[in-house]
Amino acid sequence: MAKSLDFEFKHEKKCARAVLLFHGMTGSPYEMKKMGRALYDADFDVFCYCLPGHGTSPVNIKTVRWQDWYTDSVNHYKELIKEYKEVYLGGLCLGGVLALAIAEEYEDVRGIVSLSTTLFLDGWTIPWYNFFMPIGVCTILRYYYSFPEREPYGLKNAVLRKKIAALQKRNTEALDNYPMSCIYELLKFSKITQKNMFKVKAPILLIHAKEDDLTSTKSAKFVYKNAGSKIKEYIELENSYHLVVMDNQRDFVFKKSIDFLNNLSAYVPEKTDTFDRNNAVKESSGV
Amino acid sequence: MNFEVNYILKIINSLPVSLAVLIVSNILLIVGFLIGKIVLYKNENAIKFFARFSVAICTLFVIYFVSILWFSISSFFFGNSVYSVIFPVFLFLPFVIGYFASYEKVHFYTNIQILTLIISLLLALSIIQR
Repeated sequence: MAKSLDFEFKHEKKCARAVLLFHGMTGSPYEMKKMGRALYDADFDVFCYCLPGHGTSPVNIKTVRWQDWYTDSVNHYKELIKEYKEVYLGGLCLGGVLALAIAEEYEDVRGIVSLSTTLFLDGWTIPWYNFFMPIGVCTILRYYYSFPEREPYGLKNAVLRKKIAALQKRNTEALDNYPMSCIYELLKFSKITQKNMFKVKAPILLIHAKEDDLTSTKSAKFVYKNAGSKIKEYIELENSYHLVVMDNQRDFVFKKSIDFLNNLSAYVPEKTDTFDRNNAVKESSGV
Repeated sequence: MNFEVNYILKIINSLPVSLAVLIVSNILLIVGFLIGKIVLYKNENAIKFFARFSVAICTLFVIYFVSILWFSISSFFFGNSVYSVIFPVFLFLPFVIGYFASYEKVHFYTNIQILTLIISLLLALSIIQR
C-alpha cells in the first residue's frame, strides 16, 4: 500500500467532526487533496488513505479484491468513530460506492457525500467494444486485459488534462489503464451495494456531472431513488466530467459539500479560530 | 500432395458449418491463449496491444460460443443428442474457470483453460473421424 500518498488534515484543537474521504478506482488520495483542504478549512478533520492495490504499480491493483477495499475502509472508519463524535464519509467514483456500502452496514454514519458514484460503467468514453465486457470480465481474460486510459482523462479542463496525463506516466498517483480485473471487482462490489441500497439511512449528497465520461448519471439517480435516507440531495454539474474534485467546477463541489455537511452537523464551528495551519496540518504526503 | 489437399477440402465440405467454425475458432483460441501466456504476458507495458489482442480473443470466444450452441442444437435435431449434451458444458467452463481464477494463479488457470479448449477440439475432431 502506498502510505506516502495518504493524508490526514487535523486541527490542533480537538475537533468533533471528521470526514473520511475515499479516492476513485485507479486513483489515489492525491485527487482528493484539494477537497480535503477545503473541508479542513471548514473546520473538519479530514482523512484519506490509499486503497489496497492503488498508488504503487498496475500489477498490485490486479491482486486485490473488493473485500480488501471494503475491509480497509471499514477499519479506517472504525478508528475514526472512536475518536470523533461525528464521522462523515465522502468519496469519488469507487470511493462513493465504498461510502455507501459502509453506510449500509453502519447506521452511525452521519452523512455521505458521494461524487461521480460508479455503479454502472456506461459513460461516453467507454469503448464501442464494451459489449464484450461480460466475456472479458467473467473469464480468465480479465487478468490479461486493461482499458487504456485516454483523453479526456475524466477532465473537461484541457490544462488539467496534461497534468494528469503526465502523472499517469508515473503510474502511482493515477494509473494509465483500468485493469479488467479491477473493473470486475468494482462491478461485483457495485452489485452488492445496489442490492442493499435501501439500508442506507444516512443523509446523502450526490454530485454527478451531466457529461461524466466514465459513468452516466444513471448511477447517481439509482442511489437517489433507492437509498433509504430521508435527506437526499442530488446535484448535476454542467461543466465537468468524471473527476469533479479536480475539474472546472471543483470549487462549487467543495462549497456544496461543506454546506451539506454543515447543515447536518450539530456542531457550530467557531469563527475565531487562530490555529497555525502550517503546524496544524499533519500530512504524510510529499506530493 | 494434390490428393491430400483434395481430401482435406472434401472433409471440410462434408462437415456441418457449425462444426467447421467450432474447430477453427477452437484452434485459434488455443493458439491465442498460448501466445498470450508465453509471449505477451511478460510485456506489461504493451497495454494498447494487449487490449486489442484481448478484444480479438473475446471475439473468438463469441464465435466459439455461437458455434457450440449452433452445433449442439443441430445435433439435437439430427439425433446426436449425446453431443447436444456434452458440448454445452464447454460454454460454461470459461466462466467457471474465470470465477475461481486469481491473479496469483493466473498461469495455472490459463493452463486449465487451454486444456479444456484442447479437450473440446479433440471431441470435435472425433466427430469427423466417425
